[in-house]
Amino acid sequence: MDLDPVRISLMGLPGVAVLWALTLAAFGVFGFRAWQLIGLLLKARPENRFDQPGKRVLYFARHVLLQPRLFNERSIGLPHFLIFWGFVVYVVCFNWSLVRGLAPALPAPYPDEVGVAAFFLDVFSVAVIVSLGAAVVRRVFFPPAHLHLSWDANLILTLIGILMLTTLFGAGFRLVGEGKTWSGWTPFGSMAAAAFAKMPVESAHGWAKGMWWMHMVTVLFFLVYLPYSKHLHLLASPFNVFFGNLRPAGDLGIAGGSEEMAAGSTKWSEFTWKQLLSGFSCAECGRCDRACPAATAGFPLEPQQLVQKLKKHIIGAGLAKNGNGSPKLIGETITEDEIWACTTCMSCMERCAVLNEQLPIIIQLRRHLVTEGQMAKTVQDALNNFNRYGNSFGKSDRMRAKWTQPLGWKVKDARKEPVEYLWFVGDYASFDPRLEEITRKTANTFKAGGVDFGLLYEGERNAGNDVRRIGEEGLFEMLRDKNLQAMAKAKFKTIVTTDPHAFNTLKNEYKFEDDSVTVVHYTELLDQLVQEGKLQVARKVAGKVTYHDPCYLGRYNNIYEPARRVLKAVGAELVEMPRSFNRSYCCGAGGGRIWMEDVEGVKERPSESRVREAAALGVTTLVVACPKDSVMFQDALKTAGLEGKLAIKDVIDLVEEATRPS
Amino acid sequence: MDILVLMKVVPDVVEELEVGSDGKSLDTGFLRTILNERDDHALEQALLLKDKHGGKVTLLTLDAPDIDDVLFTALAKGADRAVKICGAGSVSSTQMAARLFGETIAKTPGLLPVDLVLTGVSAIDDLDGLLAAPIAQKLGWPYAGVVTQATLADKTATVVKEFAGGVRGEYDVPTPAVLGIQAAEKPPRYVPVAKVRAAMKSQTIESVDAPAVEAAAGVEVQQMAKPRVTGHAEMLEGSADEVADKLCELLAKRGLL
Repeated sequence: MDLDPVRISLMGLPGVAVLWALTLAAFGVFGFRAWQLIGLLLKARPENRFDQPGKRVLYFARHVLLQPRLFNERSIGLPHFLIFWGFVVYVVCFNWSLVRGLAPALPAPYPDEVGVAAFFLDVFSVAVIVSLGAAVVRRVFFPPAHLHLSWDANLILTLIGILMLTTLFGAGFRLVGEGKTWSGWTPFGSMAAAAFAKMPVESAHGWAKGMWWMHMVTVLFFLVYLPYSKHLHLLASPFNVFFGNLRPAGDLGIAGGSEEMAAGSTKWSEFTWKQLLSGFSCAECGRCDRACPAATAGFPLEPQQLVQKLKKHIIGAGLAKNGNGSPKLIGETITEDEIWACTTCMSCMERCAVLNEQLPIIIQLRRHLVTEGQMAKTVQDALNNFNRYGNSFGKSDRMRAKWTQPLGWKVKDARKEPVEYLWFVGDYASFDPRLEEITRKTANTFKAGGVDFGLLYEGERNAGNDVRRIGEEGLFEMLRDKNLQAMAKAKFKTIVTTDPHAFNTLKNEYKFEDDSVTVVHYTELLDQLVQEGKLQVARKVAGKVTYHDPCYLGRYNNIYEPARRVLKAVGAELVEMPRSFNRSYCCGAGGGRIWMEDVEGVKERPSESRVREAAALGVTTLVVACPKDSVMFQDALKTAGLEGKLAIKDVIDLVEEATRPS
Repeated sequence: MDILVLMKVVPDVVEELEVGSDGKSLDTGFLRTILNERDDHALEQALLLKDKHGGKVTLLTLDAPDIDDVLFTALAKGADRAVKICGAGSVSSTQMAARLFGETIAKTPGLLPVDLVLTGVSAIDDLDGLLAAPIAQKLGWPYAGVVTQATLADKTATVVKEFAGGVRGEYDVPTPAVLGIQAAEKPPRYVPVAKVRAAMKSQTIESVDAPAVEAAAGVEVQQMAKPRVTGHAEMLEGSADEVADKLCELLAKRGLL
């Protein structure tokens, strides 16, 4: 009995010929589309993501094959994992089946004629159907916020379902056609066979072939539809991961990038190919939107939408005959308010399942606005102050070390005598009157711990972290160069700073020659002093406290434990907030937001949401490790009506209290 | 429509000001200067008019330390040409400045003709606004000061002046004319550092020698001093009750309770 599905006649044509025609048509359309999209990438700006191939293979294996990022949302992690691996099995078997069908002369069996392959197809068909069920239930009954509920997604789930059912029933009809009722290779197919046990053998043959054809045609249709749908992510994201960012997340520099990137991007061809690939890779899952403090607070930014808009623009403007007539990217597709709403907290990139890099895209858009001089007056004033005085407060650089005067002892000038630690104080800790006391406590504690440290005094400028994230690249370079010049006059081994923003850019973007300089956050130094016994706890601090992970320390630089160890060492009872560690919630001040006004429609400022979260734990104190957090949360206490109910303290407040000599 | 913008720098009051050893002037050792804010508005107004009508914007300044940065920034914003008057030393009197500007405009080939001369109506070292009017007189052109809006048509500038109580006056001024700008229609634009750097590479600043002008007669500085402390606020400290007690005591002492 001949079960070969291509040995049939379809409308008078031999099955093989029909299969050839369908295959050529489907691969032709697919190839054309792929060629179009790759053509766009080739016209974009350069970026070197071809270094460290070995590391990239491992990175690919981890994030594509194991998908830990998918599991950051439990309801869909396992279903997606099974659907993905089912896809891999089915892709292999489809191609095998297709080649065998196109070349009947090949002395090879079909995959479902080989026990092991049939087994995998059988098991995965059911695993995938169950997973699809979970996906549909999630979509219909428990859709998470910001999940894009498109027809596109439903159609794709249906198509996948058809593929699974045709395989399952195909196996069943095949068994009936072979006069069997059970095969250990296809346990689920056997169950299907049982349902059709009474079917005549001839009919079973027909149905088995019908299932094969339906399966093949569905896959070929899928092939055509895929690059036009959200499932483009399936093609693009493996490459997106392979060419992912292996440099520190806190470095906005582009390896092998062109100089014109500094002036920003306002149309698709002005982004790097990797940035465009982000657009193709987005799976519309909404993880970034759900993590985004701007979106949650009601600002007009949703990172997923922004990336989708970019994708729409790339394809719309990029494939249009002359690019004219398609809406402008900035202003018409993406609004200025969206672009400025980002706090650069890194949550979107931390959560993205396809490892997209949303932030550099937003910065490119900002750079264009800065080049055009389009920004809020308050931001402009801050930039002008940075340019003239080196700080956002518009105070004279000569006043930078004024906070040291009430100390009663002289802090070393690192430019005049060698020190082990150069303390890069940062603007807020230096100039904000609300923070001076904290800064002095830091100085006294360093001194008590025997730290040999000094300052750059008026030679210090703002480190430029936020200036760079506002998009003022030239000003960032100017500030960095001035700091490097001042540092060149000083002798030190390590830079310590209390400001995570300064910490990030000093550590990742200053590019000290031969890595001769180490940069540490003060929580790391305090941790070390406590561990080494140089800071002795004289009295334990009492009470339940919670700790806020600063974005630029945690997500950007993966430093979570030192502050926690210090807090425990001084006797505090540490309780974690629901949003902690890499899921920490931004205070809303980053990326220059601290110099911008709120826009209308904001439901709850990120800082207020955060102090409410802390207060709900029943703790006495919200402990911070960032000068901007101190300021933001102090303000939020007032607006959230929590004054007197929750205290905001810096890590140093507790350490100083515990270690101060009596 | 060509415009000449007169700019000067003034002491930056963000820095601590110190009186010099002569007791009559600021200590220049500590002094840092900054572009007069209203001149920045004059520049912005000129650039707005250029955006609308085309033409050339020429900058004319008195030489001073850091003046090149000011001029390159203005060039980066869109001005076309920058000229500085060199060799006059440090000019602290507005009358002298007016004479230097007036003579230079009248005598330097290539600066005229223009349709408008714009400058800040006043400065922190010229609260009376004595710079622009003498220049207009020297040129024999009409002058309008405290201008907050300006539009140009053929041979006429229409300017708006704002008065107290929300009253606005609109005036037609025949051009060429000198306008003292109080504020531009929009806040001065931001120019990124990269553009300023590009201007430094691609553009040059011209110099002209300061013309010989007679020393200005008139007001002379007798003495310059920091304000003397004549009294101070007393902070009541302690708990709310203690503060209330102290307050009652104070009020009683003054016979108010």
